[in-house]
Formats: sequence, C-alpha cells, structure tokens
Amino acid sequence: MVLPAPLLELSVPALSVSARLVTAWAVFQGLLLEALPFLLLGVSIAALARWLAPGGRWLQRLPRHPLLGPLTGAALGFALPACECGNVPVARRLLAGGAPLGCALGFLFAAPVLNPIVLASTWAAFPDQPWLLAARPLAALLLALALSALLQQWPEGQLLEPALLEERRLSQPLAEVGLLERRSGLVGAIGAKVQPVKVARPPLQEVLQHGSREFLDLAALLVLGCAIAATVQTLLPRSWLLAVGGAPTLSVLSLMLLAVVVSVCSSVDAFLALGFAAQITPGALLAFLVLGPVVDLKLLGLFGVVLKPRAIALTAAGASVVVLLIGQWVNLWLL
Amino acid sequence: MGESLAALIRPLALALWGAVLLVSTLTGRLELLLRGVFHPLVGLSGVVLLAIALQQALQGRHERRWNRSWALSGVLAIAVLLLPPNPSFSDLASNRNSDLGSEVELDFLLPPGQRSLTDWVRLLRSQPDPQLYDGDPVRISGFVLTQPDGPPQLGRLLVRCCLADATPIGLPVRWPKGFTAQADQWLAIEGRMGVENEAGQQRSVVLPERIRAIPRPARPLEP
Repeated sequence: MVLPAPLLELSVPALSVSARLVTAWAVFQGLLLEALPFLLLGVSIAALARWLAPGGRWLQRLPRHPLLGPLTGAALGFALPACECGNVPVARRLLAGGAPLGCALGFLFAAPVLNPIVLASTWAAFPDQPWLLAARPLAALLLALALSALLQQWPEGQLLEPALLEERRLSQPLAEVGLLERRSGLVGAIGAKVQPVKVARPPLQEVLQHGSREFLDLAALLVLGCAIAATVQTLLPRSWLLAVGGAPTLSVLSLMLLAVVVSVCSSVDAFLALGFAAQITPGALLAFLVLGPVVDLKLLGLFGVVLKPRAIALTAAGASVVVLLIGQWVNLWLL
Repeated sequence: MGESLAALIRPLALALWGAVLLVSTLTGRLELLLRGVFHPLVGLSGVVLLAIALQQALQGRHERRWNRSWALSGVLAIAVLLLPPNPSFSDLASNRNSDLGSEVELDFLLPPGQRSLTDWVRLLRSQPDPQLYDGDPVRISGFVLTQPDGPPQLGRLLVRCCLADATPIGLPVRWPKGFTAQADQWLAIEGRMGVENEAGQQRSVVLPERIRAIPRPARPLEP
C-alpha cells in the first residue's frame, strides 16, 4: 500500500518521536527564555505608564481631526510604550479624561506595535529582515487609521462601555455634551461647573502588585504560545508546514487564526513568529505580527472595559479584512 | 497548608521564573539556546524577578484565592529547572532550510588552518571556485548532519536569535571507507580541502586525514 507523503512522515519510529520531543522541549525553552525578559520589560513599562498616566485638560486639547487624531494617538505609543494588555487601561484613562475618540482609538490600536519595546523585540528576532521592521509599524498604523475611521461612523454612545461613557461625559466640555447626557446638575441651572474626574495616582506598592499579577497572567499565555510554536516547528511534518505556509492566501489566513488563538503579547510575539518564519509567506508573517496586537482571544475580554460588544465585533471584523488585504498585498510584492 | 500555599503562590511563581532565568544564565544552559548577545538581559531579568518576588513575599498582601494558571506555570518552571535542554541538532536541521539569507560578504579572511567550519561555508558561498582551495589545510569541528539525498556532511547551526531560528550549514566530507558517521555525533576533522565532481559540477570536499570524536562544545551555536 502506498501512503500519501505526510502519512509516511508520521510513521516514524518511536525512538525518533521521543528524540523529536526532546528537541521540541529545547526549542520551547529557547523561545521562552528569549521572550520572558521582553515580557518583563513590557509589563514594567505598562505599569509605569499606568502609574504616571497623566490626566487633566491637555487630553481635551489633543487633535480632533479624523486623520490627525488617530495619528497623534498612535504616536503616543512612543511616550507610553506598552503591549496591548498594558495599553487598554491607559486608553481607558485617556477616554475617561475626555481625549478625542479618534485619538484614543489610534492609541488603542496602534500603540501596541508603535513602541520602542516591540520594535526592539522585532529587530532582535528578525535582524536579517529589515523590511519587516518598517512594514510592521506601517501596517499597524494603517490598521489603526482604518479601524478609527470605521468606528467613528457611529456615535460614542453606541461604541463605548456605559461606565466609561459616564466618566467621559463628566470630563467633556459643556459645549459638547448636554446636562441630560452628563446626568449631573440641574437642567436650566446656571454656572454649575462640573470638575473633570480626577484619577488618583495609585501607590507604587499597588502598581508592583498589579504588575506582578499581569506578568504571571501573561507568562502563562506565553508558555502556551511557546509550546504551540515549538510543537508546530518540531513535530509537524515539514511537508504539511510547507503546503500550508507556502500558499499565499491560506498561509495568511492560517497565521491570522493562530495569532487570534495564541493571544501572545506584542512585546514577544516576534519570537513566536520566528518559529514559523522559515515555512510561511512574508505576508503571513506580517499578518501574524499585525493582527495579534489588535484582535486575539485575550483582548476580547480586555476590550470589554472600553468598548461595547458591538464595537468589539466591528473591530474584529474590520481588522481581519484589513490584515488579510495587507498580507495579500505583501505577498504580491515579495513573492 | 493549601491556604498558605495559595497565599504565597504569586511570589513563589515569580521566584521560580526568576530562578529559571538566573540558573540558565549561570550554568551556561543559554549557550545551547540563545545567541550570546541576549544572555546578560536574561540574567538581569532573573535577578529583577527574584527581587520582586522577595519584595512581594515580605509585603504581606497575599492572594486570597488559588490561581491555577500561576500554579501550573510554576510547575512548568520547576520542570524547566530540572530537565535541561538536549536537542538533536541533526533533527533540528532536518526541518529547516539551509539558507544564509542575503549575499555573504566576508570582512576578512583567516589562514586556511584557522578557519572554522562556518568560515569555510561562508567563504565557499562568497567565492565558490573549488580550485582556489584545493590542497588547503582544514581543521574543523561540527556535528554529523544527515542529508536526505547523499552522504552526511559535517555541520553547524547558525543562530540569529534563539534555537527556533537555527539555520543548518554543512561541508561535504569524503568519509573514509569503513567509517560510519552517526547522526548528531560531534567530530573534529583534520585534513585537506579537495575537489570532487557532483552531478556534473565541481565542488569542494573535505578529505579527512584524522577524525576524532569530541564532546559537544560548550558553545555549539554560531552567530
């Protein structure tokens, strides 16, 4: 009986399987030990950003222009460099402080990639692929602009989580929001100035405690991601990887799905991508690195503190379409 | 006991991961896993994690509930501490492309007898005329790299970041009659560079005069 090639490869002797398990264990350790310091760095900076995250009137003076707003928000990633888990609370604080919606959305979607830590880890993982160092932030910026433009088609009341919306109303000028919407003061009363919500800076002790919890939560996800990457790289037959990874559209879709499932932090996802890089198309590699920071299973829960379920679904659908297009375009360009 | 363990799970898990990073750096385990430039960062992160773990343990604000994912990650950290990596280089190489990336350019050239296997491979890629090296002395070491279609070569793994991106390189060797090269075995070879015909084309081949089995070197990966 003639077996198809992949099945032939699976029928390796038991000794070879155990040798491969030992090799997979080593690859797993390599990925994990490489990524953990970057995770620690990302979480530390996110904790620091949350501690220092300034409130105040300057937030309301950020640009409201539909293009300049998201661009300014994206650029804030360089000032408050955090991975996607760290930047969700910061984005919430920006919105609660009255920052323009486009600006806060630009920060929420682009900052997880447009920050020095993520760019450094991408460079560390792919020093021989300079195109990726330019393409990743550019694609992230494009994605953030597209998502901001999409979400701003709806009024804030339909997008933002109710408790956040209430906090935000108190920080917005009266010219933009009525007393009924603000649900404070008396309709018709004159001169009742409502002060913006002042968010007290948490004690350093609490920041350390929160940061260490966040590190352990994300480390558990990282362990899972490294295990998947090491298994795929070592145990799956190479012919399977080449068949899926070499097909332009299928490879992009597969890696998008993987990014959503693995849910690894953007400060370390480049190291996981390293495990597949040799077998996949460049568009798929970029899709993995761009979609993961915006849409993954872990973020679905985290986004709930900022956006309503409908807005989260719009974000997921919009991001998937844009990233698929970017991946296809890169494949057309580089393959 | 269960409650006190639950209370201490956070500093304990932090300390275990800190210990993994620090022990891996101090015992030289990283030499087998990562490029050297990252080793200080890993060690420093281990120290920071241990310091945070100690601070959190002394602080007294402990967890009230048992966190399963932290506990599992702690168990895995113990497994990493107890089970050091021992990869099969030949196995790793069999799943990778032998691609050195962009064009190879050499900044300087060592005398033939001082060239490592990696130096030879880079030289042969940049100037592939085999006649240039015919008769040159060769002193190299590497592991036996099995080939899907042909006799094994002597190989090395190049690493840009960590073991996950290891790229195999190899030199053809004319093995003496009766000598069986076993996959993964580390060998030191002294001999000369020769020329052979392979599929109608000339290529350089190592002609061994002395072959010694050696233990895996302390730094088996090359940048």
